[in-house]
Amino acid sequence: MSTQTRDKYSYYIEQKTLDVTDRPRKFLEAFAAVLEHSNYGVALETYSRLSAKCGRCAVSCQVYETTQEERDIPCHRSELLMRVYRRYFTPSGLFKSRLFGGFRLTDEYLDEMAEDFYRCTACRRCKATCPIGIDHGLVTHLGRWLLAEIDVIPKALVVATREQLEGVGNTSAIPVPALKDTCEFLEEEFEDIYGVDDIKYPFDVEGAEYVFFPAVSDYLLEADTLMGNAAVMHVTDGSWTIGTGNYDGINYGLFYSDRMMERIVQNVIAEVRRLKAKKVLVGECGHATRSAWFIPTFGGPDAPEVVNCMQHTHALLKAGKIPLKAEKIKERVTYHDPCNIARSGRITEEPREILKAICADYVEMTPNRTENYCCGGGGGTVSIDEIREFRTKQMGKIKADQIRATGAEIVVSPCANCKKQLKEVCEDNDLEDVRVCGLHDLLLEVIDFGVPKPGEAEEVPEPAAVGQAR
Amino acid sequence: MSIEVWLEWLRGPVFWAALAFLILGLGRHVAITVWAIVRTYRRAGDKTLPLRQVFMTTLKWLFPLDKLGNRFLYGLSTLAFHISVILVPIFLAGHIALWQRGLGISWPAIPNRVATTLTIIAIVSALAIVIQRIVFKESRLLSRFQDFVMPLVVALPFASGLLVMHPTWSLVPYDVALLVHVASANLVMFLIPLTKLSHMVLLPGTQVISELAWHFPPHAGEQVGVALGKANEPV
Repeated sequence: MSTQTRDKYSYYIEQKTLDVTDRPRKFLEAFAAVLEHSNYGVALETYSRLSAKCGRCAVSCQVYETTQEERDIPCHRSELLMRVYRRYFTPSGLFKSRLFGGFRLTDEYLDEMAEDFYRCTACRRCKATCPIGIDHGLVTHLGRWLLAEIDVIPKALVVATREQLEGVGNTSAIPVPALKDTCEFLEEEFEDIYGVDDIKYPFDVEGAEYVFFPAVSDYLLEADTLMGNAAVMHVTDGSWTIGTGNYDGINYGLFYSDRMMERIVQNVIAEVRRLKAKKVLVGECGHATRSAWFIPTFGGPDAPEVVNCMQHTHALLKAGKIPLKAEKIKERVTYHDPCNIARSGRITEEPREILKAICADYVEMTPNRTENYCCGGGGGTVSIDEIREFRTKQMGKIKADQIRATGAEIVVSPCANCKKQLKEVCEDNDLEDVRVCGLHDLLLEVIDFGVPKPGEAEEVPEPAAVGQAR
Repeated sequence: MSIEVWLEWLRGPVFWAALAFLILGLGRHVAITVWAIVRTYRRAGDKTLPLRQVFMTTLKWLFPLDKLGNRFLYGLSTLAFHISVILVPIFLAGHIALWQRGLGISWPAIPNRVATTLTIIAIVSALAIVIQRIVFKESRLLSRFQDFVMPLVVALPFASGLLVMHPTWSLVPYDVALLVHVASANLVMFLIPLTKLSHMVLLPGTQVISELAWHFPPHAGEQVGVALGKANEPV
């Protein structure tokens, strides 16, 4: 990587970003096209008219709380885009500029936006404290898309998306043979560790109920999570499959471009339809789940249903279909809510109920659920390795403090992005002893497969139903 | 021109013009916003809205009693300010008497003593809001000129109204206080549709708007790509 690209912004960009000329005009053209075809107009019009500039959002922003820099106040960042909107897309703004001149969009201004919109984790915590109801996360989301149309995109995000849409077909560039090898290896692990020899990762099963879309990086990094997923399917006799046409739930389009997001979601829908399956089963990943929740948007009236694997597991556990060992996880466990599934309140209780059923010492971090703090790597920033220090020591500082306060030995977070970030947060904030893992990783440890582990005596404790296990 | 002539002009044609401007301006905002909400909803690919959640959030912010925690004093000041500035102009017996005389309509009034208390609260809380805007770093950094001035402009008809209600407290002649009262009230009515004060009618819609904006039209991205000549451009 040439230093030139890093000099421009805090994050690496591609050479083509530097080659774009006439950026203000192109940005405004993109803005006009987006306002015409998308649904952002009504929000921008209302926000720019009503924004009270009270600063109450600042108190809720973990980035600003740590940096104390004006540019990290959510309302300040949103104003960057709203100023452009008012000046170029409202009659009064056009009128005022004719009379008095004033603000003009410049290259320098675009650079300021490029920097500031990627200092936001898009966690949307600030929305809950805005008396006007401004969703600053929405403005960040839109601002990043508009920047992407003038090729301002962190290299980490665009390279992965290119691989997914035009390369191997997934963000980690895992070819199908390697995927199958990995799954075979995991099947062998089940036999070696748990003594279960008939767990399979089914490929391309037509008519299956669920097509499985984890964050594809799990196949490289999170073996235990994937084994937990397969174990649940095994003990409940679930109908599921992994499609070799598309096996990646990751959607970086959510972080920088609706154009890309739309294409990625449509590819997921196409794979489910190819396999004549009914539902999308999203693995442990916050943004993958939130992206999949856009399936009804792009899939029409017969769009496949979307189920997060924790919702699936929770329903089965409640129905008493997952046999658990009598012995629970002994260590102190806490739960980090991934913003993308918790902020809206859509998934907050299921993971807690699962954890309370399997852990002897479960503690909450506060605040939690819809008011949780982001891991500090949200909005795709976790993929940007070159900003690690900023991510872990500033964006993630409050999260580190929260974890420390719980005294937990294990932090569970059902999200590939949160897990990577939390591991780095722990490493960089003197919390090296804390184990960060997924929810199904822990569940795997307490599922009773009904066979003795290799090396264990034949006699096993009576399997406990959920109610008893609690 | 004598002060009486000015007063007649301000409480006659100017008042009616300001009131018409207020009603028509706010009506225009509401009509445009409702139309935009309907259009946005029609274009959305996913028409399932968490309506209960949106409704509850809207309600909580319209009556933000449990929203004071984050910066309590500031929240309390704004809450007290809003209660006062909404209640007093509408329910002051003197104002209702004017409506009765002008249009023959009336409604129950609040006792004058309550009105006086609320008016004092309006003035004090307006000052408190401005002071806190200056004191709190985040608010100060964000604030535009209008953000500092607007609470004071809104407080002006209350301050002058207090002197009209209680001439003995006043250092200025009654008709001067009345002139300032009527003039500043007219000014506020003109300003409401033109400034962020229009939140008085638009606020009930902001939560649903924030939710709707995430409900994308099914082909928005593709259409933007075509419009920008990027439909077939590599990633």
